[in-house]
Amino acid sequence: MEFVNPEGLRLDGRRATEMRQFRAEIGVVSRADGSAVFEMGNTKVIAAVYGPREVQNKSQQINDKAVVRCEYSMANFSTGDRMRKPKGDRRSTEISLVIRQTMEACILTNLMPRSQIDIFVQVLQADGGTRSACINAATLALADAGIPMRDLVTSCSAGYLNSTALLDLNYVEDSAGGPDVTVGFLPKLDKVTLLQMDAKLPQDTFKNVMELAIEGCKAVANYIRDILMENTKRLECRRGV
Amino acid sequence: MAVTGGSDLSSEMEVDAFRRLFPLRFHERHLLESIRPDGRSLGKARDTTIALGAVTSANGSALTKIGCTTMLAAVKLEVMTPTQESPDEGCIAVDFHMPPICSPAVRPGRPSEVAPVVAKQLSDVILSSGMINLKDLSLVSGKAAWMAYLDIYCLDADGSLFDAALLSAVAAFSHLQIPVVSLSDEGRIVLVPEGNGGGKFEKEPVNKEKRKLKLCTLPFSLTCALHKNYILADPTSEEESIMETQLTVVLDSSGLLVSLNKPGGSVFAHTSVIQDCVALARQRLKEVKLILNEAISDMDVD
Repeated sequence: MEFVNPEGLRLDGRRATEMRQFRAEIGVVSRADGSAVFEMGNTKVIAAVYGPREVQNKSQQINDKAVVRCEYSMANFSTGDRMRKPKGDRRSTEISLVIRQTMEACILTNLMPRSQIDIFVQVLQADGGTRSACINAATLALADAGIPMRDLVTSCSAGYLNSTALLDLNYVEDSAGGPDVTVGFLPKLDKVTLLQMDAKLPQDTFKNVMELAIEGCKAVANYIRDILMENTKRLECRRGV
Repeated sequence: MAVTGGSDLSSEMEVDAFRRLFPLRFHERHLLESIRPDGRSLGKARDTTIALGAVTSANGSALTKIGCTTMLAAVKLEVMTPTQESPDEGCIAVDFHMPPICSPAVRPGRPSEVAPVVAKQLSDVILSSGMINLKDLSLVSGKAAWMAYLDIYCLDADGSLFDAALLSAVAAFSHLQIPVVSLSDEGRIVLVPEGNGGGKFEKEPVNKEKRKLKLCTLPFSLTCALHKNYILADPTSEEESIMETQLTVVLDSSGLLVSLNKPGGSVFAHTSVIQDCVALARQRLKEVKLILNEAISDMDVD
């Protein structure tokens, strides 16, 4: 199948290094401490953060830092065919773990000993890159909750099809069987915290694809920062400072 | 919002602190003045909005907000073989989910008690109100019929969950677009690709005319919290947790009573109280019908 036509356009009309359109909104769940919706093209996820609050299961309490928990779930109508997978299948357990560890890397857990932070992400529409969208939504929700963080983790995926490196794969490109590199990146520290790849890829091309994904992460980081600045300005305005 | 007078602590304490420490006294103080903490009068419901077509991957969908309570409902259609007892009827499966994002009270792993209760009430009301004639979901008698999966996700739980869920379900069904299908040579149902509307069909479609589901009557509901002599329409979750008991009234679009539900609690629902609740529900029915019709006509214009 041809994923990039001779003019260099992809199936959805994007160029190889073009991302889908983002849209983010903060404070969408009234009773959560922090929440956000993040959209990348047709992929749409909602994240809510509760905490830091008392540890629910005392045996899990850690005396010198906070416990971070994460749960990922997909709406039954989010994909093309209606899913009938039970909650807690392998894929969502894996993604929950990935998101938790990624977010843990940037939260200053040592500042909140003996407490718990819950991150819940719900996929409303899936069109490839749900993992990245979830991490971006979780970052925004954590920032909205005012939880101290080292940096804003952002995530983006990139792939390699028809011997072209492609940024931000959609569902059709993702399921084509080519490599899919998902990167979680701390833009200020310039460090990679999450790196996942399936399928084979020569080493030098891998380098290019990963660099492309990192560029994507930086673009997301800029957008997220703008959204947060705008939100802060609005709050400032409301308080009349 | 200064609380004045009274020999209690209310005059000496900050309002927020008083609200947290003595929620019951805080609310009763408001009720005395016939007003609620969010500025509503007792019989008034919160602002309601409906947006149709919020989920592109579903056949019909709606996002409904009543105050902060947010529901996302989507209907997906699948072809199934009807049962032998009712060969020319389709089927509707209703599911209500409360993912942990919606409220601090829902804990992951432990299924919440409310979600299955609301799901049961919803499917009872949708099936018993006669909103959808199951025969309309039939494609080929005895061979194929539509199975409609209705999934409702609560994105923000702030009281009156059933009202919001039912409204979103009704809205999602009114937005439902039935895909065109045809019968293949092997006797299987296949989708006719879109954009083939005016042109020739390879196979004659089975359901060319039935693109919209005919909704005979629409059920609408109003939950009232009852407390002493007061009736509070459309309570928030804070009010629900404090007030003594609740009563849910479901009316259909012509104002007939479809269902009443008072889930136990203290016994003081006299007939007059029930009549008052029904009267409030009638009023609310008019408001909601207007909002839904507006949402549908907005959709048709687009």
